[in-house]
Amino acid sequence: MSGVTRFAWRALLAGVAVFIAAPIVVVVVSSFTDGQIPEFPPTSWSLRWYRHAFEQALFMESLRWSLVLAACATLVNVPIAIAAALAIARGRFPGREFVQTLLLSPLIVPAIVIGLALLLAFASIGHREPTTRLLVAHVLITLPYMVRVVLANLVRMDAELEEAALTLGASRLRAFVHVTLPLLAPGLFAGALFSFIVSFDNVSVSLFLTTAKVNTLPVAILNYVEYNLDPSIAAISTVLVLLSLGVAVVLERLVGLSRVVGN
Amino acid sequence: MPISARAALLLLAPALAVIVFALVLPVASVLRLSFMEPGASGLPVKVVWTFGNYIRLLTDPFYLGVLGRTILISAIVTVLATLAGFPLAHAIWRASRRWRGTLTIFALSPLLVSIVVTSFGWMVLLGSHGVVNQALQALGIVEAPLKLMHNDFGIVVGLTHILLPFVVLSVLAALDRIDPALIEAARVLGADERACIREVVLPLAAPGIVAGTTLAFSAAVSAYVTPAVLGGSGANFIGTAIFNQFMTVFNWPFGATLAAALLAVAACIVYLYLRAVSRIAMPWAGA
Repeated sequence: MSGVTRFAWRALLAGVAVFIAAPIVVVVVSSFTDGQIPEFPPTSWSLRWYRHAFEQALFMESLRWSLVLAACATLVNVPIAIAAALAIARGRFPGREFVQTLLLSPLIVPAIVIGLALLLAFASIGHREPTTRLLVAHVLITLPYMVRVVLANLVRMDAELEEAALTLGASRLRAFVHVTLPLLAPGLFAGALFSFIVSFDNVSVSLFLTTAKVNTLPVAILNYVEYNLDPSIAAISTVLVLLSLGVAVVLERLVGLSRVVGN
Repeated sequence: MPISARAALLLLAPALAVIVFALVLPVASVLRLSFMEPGASGLPVKVVWTFGNYIRLLTDPFYLGVLGRTILISAIVTVLATLAGFPLAHAIWRASRRWRGTLTIFALSPLLVSIVVTSFGWMVLLGSHGVVNQALQALGIVEAPLKLMHNDFGIVVGLTHILLPFVVLSVLAALDRIDPALIEAARVLGADERACIREVVLPLAAPGIVAGTTLAFSAAVSAYVTPAVLGGSGANFIGTAIFNQFMTVFNWPFGATLAAALLAVAACIVYLYLRAVSRIAMPWAGA
């Protein structure tokens, strides 16, 4: 590459890097301001907005709901996804491709349609408990990721190991518990972690299903910034950023991030 | 160990139940709603079968405009995300093993970090007293602050940011399938890096680029949060228009019709995506 094109290419890359980092860096850095609005860079530094954020019942309550919801959705999904992935990977039945597409379809349907459809569906059966509908919604939107990760692991797994266990006299259940499951563990953990973060970060489906009493943290933040722009939002957002990127680092080390997120 | 068809069905039952009861039936009932008449006096729906909502959608200049704008803005955003995403994917691909993980996390960060966080970040950056405007004024480039958000510019910036990772992931997947020997061969035959990218890498990555762009486009068309936060007032993106019909105007049937239109657009894009992906597996097949 000639000097000029090389320079232009590098400049473009640098520009893209700044563009990607800008909104996240601005949030993190401005959370340490001492002022009344999120400034970048802050003129004086302080941690007081973190204390302010942690003292707000709105954020702490919704944080608690978000954590419980993400944990429950993930726990519900683990057995469902293992069973479904086993059937697709090892089963011999017509329409396997179709079933696989069907299980991944929550990724295709726009979130706003999923949110509205569930809101109306629960209203039509007269069920108005926000916790149930949030749980159902989050199980639905995280299921495809779990199924995909478990399926990829099952397909790559050496099926002869299972066969060997069976030949040596193990029952199917025993072979599954002592051979398949341990081999599946890293992928399962990665899938669970990613499901957790997908659920924890979700706003576009939750938005329709939360109430003033039962709120998730991202929805609470979204509602809050409509009327307030104080740096406590930056502080609570920084906590979210650390959590997401922390999970990403673990996933990258464990199985490779692009394998979990991939399309 | 192979599993019989009956056992497979049993194992699939819980997952299929989730999909059928939480997705297929609820979405079907939304579609059913789109063939109803909007109710009068507080009731959202009148159970009368009609194509009226679809006729309204196709004849009302405002909603045709909303559809057109959504598709146009999504197209612009997709082009920008592709132009920015290809060099980034290429850089990750060429990076040493040691840096690859860090760079991947960096490139995917708009997807990993919650959209409410990045939206808030853009508000701090693009507001009339925001970081960008203050910098531009301090440098004397502009006198009065520019309007950088609560308009289409804000939507374009916010969406491009979120969609970049989709392009990077798809392009990277395609690049990783390129046989390094082909690059080596091009080098030996005297191609410099630029020729290498143009003559070897780009054609081989083309299906990945197509897959990434269709995925990005479908995510853009379906966007709701970014247009609501960074876009102008007035429901002029299809996602915000749907929200508006259901939650503000309470015209559920027409909102459902808009949702059906969105689903139709998304389905077309996904079809194109699947066609593109099936070509990644055999990059030679389409050439």
